[in-house]
Amino acid sequence: MDRNQITKWFKAPAKMANKYSLHVIYFCTGCGIIEVPPVITSRWDAERFGVIPVATPRQANLFLITGYVSVKTLRAIIRTYEQMPEPKYTVGFGSCPINGGMYWDSYNTIKHLDKYIPIDGWIAGCMPRPEAIFIAVTHLWTLIDKEMANGYVKYRENYEYYRKNQEKVLGKLEWPPLFPVSDEPRGNVQ
Amino acid sequence: MVVKIVQIILSPILALVVGVFFLGLARKIIARIHWRHGPPLIQPLIDIIRLFYQKSVSHGRMFDLGIIFSLAGSIVLVLFLPLGRWCPLSSSGGLLVILYIMLIAPLGVALSAGEGANPNISIGISRKFILSLGYEVPLLLVLLAVMTHYKTISIMEVVSVQQSTSWSIISFPLFLSGLSYFLILPAILGIRPFDVSSAPQEISSGPMAEYGGKYLALATIEHAFVLFISIALFVNLFLGGAANPVIFFVKMLVVFVLGLCINAVFPRFRIEQAIKYLWKWPTLLAFVGLIITLAIRS
Repeated sequence: MDRNQITKWFKAPAKMANKYSLHVIYFCTGCGIIEVPPVITSRWDAERFGVIPVATPRQANLFLITGYVSVKTLRAIIRTYEQMPEPKYTVGFGSCPINGGMYWDSYNTIKHLDKYIPIDGWIAGCMPRPEAIFIAVTHLWTLIDKEMANGYVKYRENYEYYRKNQEKVLGKLEWPPLFPVSDEPRGNVQ
Repeated sequence: MVVKIVQIILSPILALVVGVFFLGLARKIIARIHWRHGPPLIQPLIDIIRLFYQKSVSHGRMFDLGIIFSLAGSIVLVLFLPLGRWCPLSSSGGLLVILYIMLIAPLGVALSAGEGANPNISIGISRKFILSLGYEVPLLLVLLAVMTHYKTISIMEVVSVQQSTSWSIISFPLFLSGLSYFLILPAILGIRPFDVSSAPQEISSGPMAEYGGKYLALATIEHAFVLFISIALFVNLFLGGAANPVIFFVKMLVVFVLGLCINAVFPRFRIEQAIKYLWKWPTLLAFVGLIITLAIRS
């Protein structure tokens, strides 16, 4: 941390703290997990960026989705994302969450993850190198600085759109909506 | 009177600052032992600021109150500990009060986390209490030996006698007790090899599983206090306290770094291995120490 950041700390402590303390929950849906252990251990040491893995979504503020997303894991991804406290950021890792990648014609995977949960940034590649995670983190810093990493705000504002897309794939969702939806009551909403 | 009030306000703040500094130092030193660069020294402070600005989910009234209860217990406990010659509540209590209040911190966390109704939390809490059953036995024996040797329950007197003669860690019967306390220190702090209750890989960090936002920030502060208290107790009882807070903190630093070296290289015990260890060597040492002390003193 250089000295000219001290004034920034006093001006916007929340923003700076969000930038430099990214606690990551890794959602290892497929192949991408093999790139994560070198990142968090001695070889590339993500901790020097303040990035450490945590065990539960409640403690996390960065959600890293690695590899392809099957219909079954989408359910878990949505539940994990909704459990994370705001402000929260999401990064899709690998080409499969972006557009299906090599599973573009599979009957069982999701092609565009950002239809179901908002994504703040993508790391393209199959597979990306572990260094790409650091590039993503530094890009995320810039986005947080410019207040462009506002996926969680989008999720709150367009919740009906996301919920409709989720129900299109998963059928009826067994959990109540996270934010109030205006149309007819569904699920176990009273 | 005014000096007393200033001390009562200042010593928990000092304890908090030193505890958070120790948390940062722990991450840095462990990183260096792992051949990594490691986070900046103020990383726990950044985390705490971030957590306070995050939204948090409450699971009920007890969930809110329990963590504050535990934090209050730790802050009161700091007031009974002499930091150098500083001891805001030296005239009352002593070691017996410290023994009682030490129970409040884990109890508060258990009350608070239990409200979360997550199976991982239940496992974590039960492991925490089994572990404290493991280390309370040698801890009681150690404190009994110290109280018998100095014929007092006042921790202030223990410190002043040590400063006029010699540290109890190098005096004959008490070095057994001191060694025993150092062996159970990782268990009291809940660091490896005794981090069974907060194992992130097994039970999703145990009691912390449902904590997020402000709750996790308070839990981190609570952890910093526990870190401070257990090491400060060791320094007071066995390393002869200190004349002023600065030397006191230097002594604490030495003990802490020694403990960290154990923490950084050992894997985690299973819970029954931890109990087996705690009830074997530290208990044996503490018991022999107590018997010899009794034989000499009577």
